[in-house]
Amino acid sequence: MDKQTIKEYLNRCSKCGGCMAACPLFGETRMEPLVARGKLFLIKNYLDGNLDLSKKMKELMSLCLLCKACTDQCPNSIPVDQLVLSIRQEIAQHKGISFVKKNIFQHFLQNNGRLNTAAKMAYLYQRSGLQWLVRKSGVLGLLGGDLAKKEKLLPEMAKVPFRSQLPQLISLSNPQMRVAYYTGCVTNYVFPNTGHAVVNILKNHSLEVVIPEQWCCGIPALASGDEASAVELAKKNIKAFQEAGVDYIITDCASCGSMLHEYGDLIGGSDARFFADKVVDLSQFLAEVVDFVPGDKEIGCEVTYHDPCHLNRGQGVREAPRKLIKSLPGVVFREMKEADRCCGAAGSFNLTYYDLANKVGHRKVCNIKDSGASVVATECPSCIMQIGHLLAMEQVPVEVTHLAELISKSYKE
Amino acid sequence: MISNTVIETIKKIVGDENVLTSKEERLCYAYDSTPNAFLPDLVVRPGSTEEVQSIVRLANEHRFPLIPRGTGTGLSGGSLPVKGGVVMDLTRMDKILEIDEENLVAVVEAGVITYKLQEEVEARGLFYPPDPGSLKTSTIGGNVAENAGGPRAFKYGVTRDYVLGLEVVTPQGEIVSVGGKTVKSVTGYDLIRLYTGSEGTLGIITKIYLRLIPKPEAKKTMMVSFPRLDDAARSVTEIIKRGIIPVTLEIMDDRTIQCVENYKQMGLPLDVEAILIIEVDGPRVLLDDQAKQIAELCQSNGAQQVSIAETDEEREKIWAARRAVSAAVVQIKPTKISEDIAVPRMAIPEMVRRLKEIAKRYQLDLVIFGHAGDGNLHPNILCDQRDQDEMQRVEKAIGELFKAAVELGGTLSGEHGIGTMKAPYLKLEMGEAGYDVMMRIKKALDPNNILNPGKIFWSENNG
Repeated sequence: MDKQTIKEYLNRCSKCGGCMAACPLFGETRMEPLVARGKLFLIKNYLDGNLDLSKKMKELMSLCLLCKACTDQCPNSIPVDQLVLSIRQEIAQHKGISFVKKNIFQHFLQNNGRLNTAAKMAYLYQRSGLQWLVRKSGVLGLLGGDLAKKEKLLPEMAKVPFRSQLPQLISLSNPQMRVAYYTGCVTNYVFPNTGHAVVNILKNHSLEVVIPEQWCCGIPALASGDEASAVELAKKNIKAFQEAGVDYIITDCASCGSMLHEYGDLIGGSDARFFADKVVDLSQFLAEVVDFVPGDKEIGCEVTYHDPCHLNRGQGVREAPRKLIKSLPGVVFREMKEADRCCGAAGSFNLTYYDLANKVGHRKVCNIKDSGASVVATECPSCIMQIGHLLAMEQVPVEVTHLAELISKSYKE
Repeated sequence: MISNTVIETIKKIVGDENVLTSKEERLCYAYDSTPNAFLPDLVVRPGSTEEVQSIVRLANEHRFPLIPRGTGTGLSGGSLPVKGGVVMDLTRMDKILEIDEENLVAVVEAGVITYKLQEEVEARGLFYPPDPGSLKTSTIGGNVAENAGGPRAFKYGVTRDYVLGLEVVTPQGEIVSVGGKTVKSVTGYDLIRLYTGSEGTLGIITKIYLRLIPKPEAKKTMMVSFPRLDDAARSVTEIIKRGIIPVTLEIMDDRTIQCVENYKQMGLPLDVEAILIIEVDGPRVLLDDQAKQIAELCQSNGAQQVSIAETDEEREKIWAARRAVSAAVVQIKPTKISEDIAVPRMAIPEMVRRLKEIAKRYQLDLVIFGHAGDGNLHPNILCDQRDQDEMQRVEKAIGELFKAAVELGGTLSGEHGIGTMKAPYLKLEMGEAGYDVMMRIKKALDPNNILNPGKIFWSENNG
């Protein structure tokens, strides 16, 4: 976003404070620098030459979930998340980003081989007994901070990444259509069962699935202000899916999906826009593109649904997942209070600001509990990790699942 | 400037994490919902009345300004640190201490969000009626300090009508408790009314006893359009004379209607001078009849169209038009100067005519909406803060609109308060003698002028 556009948006903020009612961080802290109104005022002061890109400024700008709840509430619809991302980018350009992040964005995410190796090492750490030893020894506690608790946020890695378990084309004899599947990194490395569920659902609708070699969507880099790395990744993905020759690119991850939709604006040009137009969230695809038919196996549970920020506000998908859940055999749907409030995951926000993210997540857990459901379904692996972590920590007997896995249960094996 | 020794002492009182010193963080407490901003020297977030007391005493000892603040959504500049000093953010004190369902009283700390309290009491079948526009974010403490109103004020009154008791830290650091759970109390001077609406200049409110009432069973909403403004005003009076007290009587002028319709096509009539949104509440069995009577009265007084909401969706649609106003009007120009004069109800048409004449003379964009039941109008001047010439014209126009309101027997502010925005015009309404009485009260209670200096009074020797 260019400076002039940013200034125009900033000028639209009347400081009415409506954002305070929506902001999950303000809700927990009541701290004005954490809410949109404060952040916009800081950005304005920076652009007017009244503030530097100080360490404090960097910290305050990183204290945003990018959940878009404020924009939804704003009488002037100011895209606060876009403005925060712009300033993060400015900070990254002037001050650089951390060595670790730089390595991840510019080397690991751009290279699937290295990423696979890293995932394998994490898997080995968890399975070799080293994790058990580390946890048992209390060494993380000695290192201080919340490291011991944070370590539990690290999900269990899949032994073999999902994409290595399947061929690139899952062919059918009489397919209705061929679609592409963008798996996202978390499904690939952590939740291969979600990937299998997606493929199973698509196969049950006579769809041939192509899973081309693909890369991280780029949102972690963009969220940290490294636009260049995000652009590189976008270009690779656009090229990979061009070769697949499909009309729909299905995503199972709210964050990836919203990022892929942004490719058109991120790099411009007809190829990018063409790609972005093909991207569709799984539930939206099932509810609106194909004639969704669930299996007839009774599932038998009460389900509530958590709206991922990047699906609901990011892609405007709200009714589709609910419609699908309600159509499943033996499932009773229970709407929870504040279903569209952020769970606190927000990419890696919950790692950086563990306690604050947990406060935000605690409210989600309470709402899940109050709904009376025994299963909470959602469509974002990052939300699943955060909600799962908190449900376990607070010992709430509710299962968190990806919507695809829930739907997949209705089909016979 | 505040010395480092004082900052260290404050940190000892409230804890390091509750003192904000960086310029970045202080900037976030420099503003409220007006277009102005002043950088405070420090922000402190006390967690108890005792901590508030210690800081007030320190302020007296070291003579620094202390500016109490809730969530900073005021529209008169009441929480702006115009003389620098320490902004005291009271939002950490956000406990609902008690909801006494037998005596119909809620006891809350100052930092409780108004909406939060309303949700809690309504879940128990009770009702706290004051509904300022910012109720989802504003604090009860701020509402009391500004004596906030809202659309429901005509039937249910404003914040002061619900304050039964207060705990206040005086400008010299004493803790005073006045009133309590009784509805009646004539013991001594009415200090509750003195503190309510004192805009943080006479004491820091830390605890509030609020009167609750049973929640009305149901409501019914209608929208009525009038080709002539005078007919709308007369209809309002006729309705009230008939013995029907609507809970809200919102009025929008022609320019407001055009803005809303341009912004969101809702099918509002563009050939009328005013739209009224009328809502009645009470026992369900009475409402249909009341709505019918109101419709008939409006029709016989020149209404063009009456639509009564029969379903929740229809009701929602009517209120959506009203809610769209703030977003719609800033599409014209980015800066919104929101005034809130009040005039006797029957003077509304004359006031509107004068407002339009003033706007025309100074070539300004003006929309008028507000609460027709209590004559509280919100003329909003739409301008661009970056256009200096325009802002000068705005200032002159505001001076004239205050003069017009007072001439018609009205007041500078119906519900926003004086703060800094209206301070220069206070004598226009109060006169020299009235102003002097207020000044003497301020000097007696706050001899060192510690609390919220530069507000309400506009004089060289203050601050």
